[in-house]
Amino acid sequence: MISRRESVKITALVALSALALSAAPFVGPSFPGEASDFIFWQLRVPRVLMAALVGGTLSLVGAVYQTLFLNPLASPSTVGTTAGATLGALIAIVYGLGRLSWGISIVVLFAFIGALVASLVVTMVAVRGRVRVNDIVLVGISCSLAAAALSSGILASADTNAAAAAVRWSIGHLPQVGYRGVLFMLPISALTAVALLGLSRSLDTLAAGEEVAHSRGVHVALVRAAAIGCGSLGVAGCVAWCGPIAFVELIVPHIVRLIVGARRGVVLPMSMVVGAAFLALCDAGARTVLAGRELPVGVITAALGAPALLWLVARQPR
Amino acid sequence: MTVLELDRVTVKVPGRVLLDDVSLRLGASDLIAVLGPNGAGKTTLVRSALGLVEPALGRVTLDGVPVASLPGRERAAKLAWLPQRGPLVEPTTALELVAAARFRFRESRASSRAAAMRALAAARADALEARLLTELSGGELQRVAFASLLAQEAPLALLDEPASHLDPARQIELYALVGRLWRSGLGVLWVMHDINALAHAVEEGEAARARVVGLKNGQIDFVAAYGAPDLGARLGALFGVSMTAVSVGGRRVFVTDPSGSAPRP
Repeated sequence: MISRRESVKITALVALSALALSAAPFVGPSFPGEASDFIFWQLRVPRVLMAALVGGTLSLVGAVYQTLFLNPLASPSTVGTTAGATLGALIAIVYGLGRLSWGISIVVLFAFIGALVASLVVTMVAVRGRVRVNDIVLVGISCSLAAAALSSGILASADTNAAAAAVRWSIGHLPQVGYRGVLFMLPISALTAVALLGLSRSLDTLAAGEEVAHSRGVHVALVRAAAIGCGSLGVAGCVAWCGPIAFVELIVPHIVRLIVGARRGVVLPMSMVVGAAFLALCDAGARTVLAGRELPVGVITAALGAPALLWLVARQPR
Repeated sequence: MTVLELDRVTVKVPGRVLLDDVSLRLGASDLIAVLGPNGAGKTTLVRSALGLVEPALGRVTLDGVPVASLPGRERAAKLAWLPQRGPLVEPTTALELVAAARFRFRESRASSRAAAMRALAAARADALEARLLTELSGGELQRVAFASLLAQEAPLALLDEPASHLDPARQIELYALVGRLWRSGLGVLWVMHDINALAHAVEEGEAARARVVGLKNGQIDFVAAYGAPDLGARLGALFGVSMTAVSVGGRRVFVTDPSGSAPRP
């Protein structure tokens, strides 16, 4: 029972996103001759794929968390995932840990572990039945603060070069990862997407309030733990490769909701689609805004996303 | 026939007993009105029936099985709840909210929506189907919430002061809906502030079949038939006010006596 108007909007949004994704690899400074082929297939295409996976995953998790925490400001950083990842990455960067033999850097591995550990604490609290949603948010914030304090301590003890590298990492960027990163991200994104989209009926019921959802048969603690656990896995994968890319997970679901309405059956998959295109587009911008240099994509997402959201909120009929 | 049974239930929080040795049985076609002063334990009663709080002593069972050990969907198939506060509002349609109440059914989204439409019609809210929850008034929201209760299709319903923030006309509308629900065979446990709500739900010949439970300090103070001659006096004692029954249009309504003494502690 999707209305005609709604289906037109959805189709348009999907078409625009597809267009953005397919145009993104062509954006950027051009190179002559053979180099251009190499750059296109070995650098740009995998990077756009990575952007699509990361953007889609982050946005989906953001959309799910906003329902789960009954709070429009909830995001992966709410449950400590981002701070945990940052701490892990800082340890690896500052202590100069090298590479693993199979090509995945220790930084990625440590960020991944850090994100999972922080989220695990929050998940374990969430799975205990009688906690309220605000308690979970508080635990998440506590974890974030603790991880941030440790990070600051490590940063303060680091030498200048390592500190600069760490700061750069913490802005969020899409690295030149080639197809290896894509292959690493793909199963994580797929698992997150399948699990979270599978929860959408439970989330629909949960949106009426946690106790009401309980009375309607939802196992609230289990749904929360599954959503936080799977969401964190996805975010951990993203943050491990790209650092904490700000705002995507917060802004994209809101933009989608303002365009197509709040129905989760639509918002969740559309957040994925739009998030993928949004990050690919932002990354294309990051390649071109400064001639000869690259901006971290986190700067672009915030610079584009925040005004876009403001504009959409402001033009809402009241 | 589904039966909810509270058997000598005691609920405690540190330093306080919320519910003290309460026994209650709700079956199909029962109507139990629960009244009591603020803090008497009415909401705790409802929450323990739903399995939201665990009793320190005693048992809460649905058809003999402890509610806490029933899988969510099975519990929801027997027992539904209309909370005091309306649903959390987000910009989804009323239809979506009501369809989500059918979580216990393993069915397609399309059949959930079809059933939600029927529930909205039964709650006289079919006109609200496509409206966004954020645009509804308090009364409209409560009717949509009532439709959600119907959509769950449980044989027992718990109502927790469902009309407390509605204007008189909307209140009477809701009471009549509850009466119809009861007459259709549901077992209804109804927490209320004002006993006169029953006058709008229960018809004259039915007064003997509706029970009134007075709750005070977590304990059952009295159980009486709605038609009992001394109900006014008992309610007055329960609330610590002077209360008398008067006849309005042939129906008994209970009023506090303004000339009577000030509320006794």
